[in-house]
Amino acid sequence: MKTIALVGQPNCGKSTLFNQLAGYKSLSANFPGATVEYTKGQTYIGEEIAEVIDLPGTYSLSWYDDAEKETVRALFSEHIDVIVNILDASTLVRSIELTIELMSLEKPLVVALNMMDEAVRKGIYINAKKLEDILGVKVVPIVAKKGKGIKDLLEAIKTAKKPLKRCVYSKEVEKYINKLKECIEKNGLSGEWPPKLMAIKAIEGFEPCMEPLENSTCKASLNEARYALRDGLVIVQERHALCMDIFEKVAVVKKKEKKSLETILDSILLHSLFGYISMFLIFFSIFYAVFHGGVPIENLIIGIFDKIDASLTSALAHNKLILAIIRGVVDGVGAAFGIAFPYLLPFLFLISLLEDVGYLPRIGFLLDSTMHKMGLHGTSIIPFVSGYGCSVPAIMTTRILKSRKEKIISAFLASLVPCSARTTVIMGLVGYFIGYGYAILLYGINIIVIMISGMILKKLLPGISPEMALDIPPYRLPTIKTLLLKTWHKVKDFIFLAVPMLIAGSVVLTLITYYNLDGIINGVFKPFMALIGLPSSIAVVLIFGILKKELTLLMLYQALGLSSLSQIPKVLTHEQMFVFTIFVIFYIPCIATMAAIKKEVGLKATIYITAGTFVLATVLALIFKVLLYSVWI
Amino acid sequence: MKLIEGNIDKNYIVESIDGGCMAKDRLWKLGIIPGVVIKIKRRAPLKGPLMLEVNGSDVVIGRGIASRINIKEIE
Ligand SMILES: Nc1nc2c(ncn2[C@@H]2O[C@H](COP(=O)(O)OP(=O)(O)O)[C@@H](O)[C@H]2O)c(=O)[nH]1
Repeated sequence: MKTIALVGQPNCGKSTLFNQLAGYKSLSANFPGATVEYTKGQTYIGEEIAEVIDLPGTYSLSWYDDAEKETVRALFSEHIDVIVNILDASTLVRSIELTIELMSLEKPLVVALNMMDEAVRKGIYINAKKLEDILGVKVVPIVAKKGKGIKDLLEAIKTAKKPLKRCVYSKEVEKYINKLKECIEKNGLSGEWPPKLMAIKAIEGFEPCMEPLENSTCKASLNEARYALRDGLVIVQERHALCMDIFEKVAVVKKKEKKSLETILDSILLHSLFGYISMFLIFFSIFYAVFHGGVPIENLIIGIFDKIDASLTSALAHNKLILAIIRGVVDGVGAAFGIAFPYLLPFLFLISLLEDVGYLPRIGFLLDSTMHKMGLHGTSIIPFVSGYGCSVPAIMTTRILKSRKEKIISAFLASLVPCSARTTVIMGLVGYFIGYGYAILLYGINIIVIMISGMILKKLLPGISPEMALDIPPYRLPTIKTLLLKTWHKVKDFIFLAVPMLIAGSVVLTLITYYNLDGIINGVFKPFMALIGLPSSIAVVLIFGILKKELTLLMLYQALGLSSLSQIPKVLTHEQMFVFTIFVIFYIPCIATMAAIKKEVGLKATIYITAGTFVLATVLALIFKVLLYSVWI
Repeated sequence: MKLIEGNIDKNYIVESIDGGCMAKDRLWKLGIIPGVVIKIKRRAPLKGPLMLEVNGSDVVIGRGIASRINIKEIE
């Protein structure tokens, strides 16, 4: 089976094209040993079936972040038979730079010239045939969004050839490049890189290409070239001039581009005051929509599963053990559906919408300075804000982040944000019994703890957080089809991932009840509970809370031996309720969240994050215990 | 003059990018190359990043990077 790789600069319409080619059956996978993810699927090329992989967008073959690095590595690997380079016709000059680099890989290459409609709207008319002649690579004009030109593209992929030409620099420049290239070849230093590309990148000062030459005989040629070519600037300028030249040869610009609507939108959405207000309103409406739509649906789903539970109980009443296990399975599936459909689906859909419309990078612009203090970029606000709904989609949105460090920090911090389940505990316990002011105080404490944790993690974790440097795409209307497919991929991921864990977790819990292990668990945790000043009978509640956080409230009164929630103040003091809630907000993410964290950042980081939240919760509970007992009257 | 000191809505020519700038390669790819004309469109509040117009596209770069780019005013 042939493997086709889609490569392009960010926002060129790559995933739109991918979804046109591969459709709903595709799945996402991680690059081995990396937190970076790509999507793969299958498509028919004529009669033959082929694998299509959608690599993360990259500006060039010299990477700036983890995602770009994995793309470059994948391109070097043997598996790829045809590279499809997607260009944004409306930003042709910049796009061709990547094409020129891809040509040097000497693999069969096809150029898909996307966004032809947008280019025309900007008054840019491109002669694809001319571009094809100049580049020596097959060029197919397409409009991925409307599915135009896809057939021709598939035809071109079928007959794809290696590039006929190579990018040639001026004689003087070529002299230095070739000298270094020959040295690299002779000494076998190039590794996976094509020798000439490595020579160019080394002269341009790209670390991973310079390093292998550091202590070699080629060091002298490298230094000489870097000196003569002004640290590679001469190459860069020549290449830029070449791209401009190609553009002028193949394109006619008719009218001055008119971006009035975009200018108006930006002047509001990026305004130093209104920008933040609009951002707040946008997120608020998303929450409002998801919650008001989600709660009834969740209740409906819970209702259905409760009925199944009830009929199981009566049918299997004679065999309690089997009943316990089957109920565990049913509850686990119920919990998964209760998260996936009411919250995950609409949430991920709306976030994908913001992403494809082009709003996310703009949020990045507005919030970058605040988030940078926590080792994050502006776009990391998305996992946080989403966290107030449900931690699972929140963690899944860390996918939009580029570096591993950033992902781990965001995943950790997002899991600390009180989700709707923890909101029930905050409101139902602290809000109801102590006062709503104290509930709001808890939210404030939560934000402060998150910010401090972020600053500490930034210092603690290895790796640097590169500063923001990216292009802001124009506003674009995405298609419903692409959005639904993107959402579907993610929901499918969640179902495969979380359902087994939720089932296993809930079976374990029903077995605990069945064998009456509560007493033993409470006994084991007694010293710990005493430490944070809570009755030992609620240790088991906290264990159940790992399955679903709302259980910590629902099971609390039973565990305390009371007949209803309203009697809680008889056994727990206000201080204890406050400390209990603090602990519940921060301790150990729920099972579904852990599954999502594992998917995004791997098992080891998940273990650290889980342990970290537990330590954090304990420390905070202790601090507040001491604090409250000394100041509370 | 450093890019960070530039004024909004004014055009400048990029003169050079300081050595040791991690993002140099990325800047080149975004079209921020010595000799090219750029326009500063807006700054994010609270010492946030800068938004530039380069070659008809909008580009956002952090302050740290912007303080390593040397520019010249166009008369
Ligand atoms: N006008 C136009 N918009 C397109 C075209 N292809 C994709 N888009 C839109 O461009 C935006 C970004 O596309 P996406 O596929 O997410 O880009 P990616 O970042 O390269 O994966 C989406 O809103 C798409 O609907 C096209 O051919 N013409």
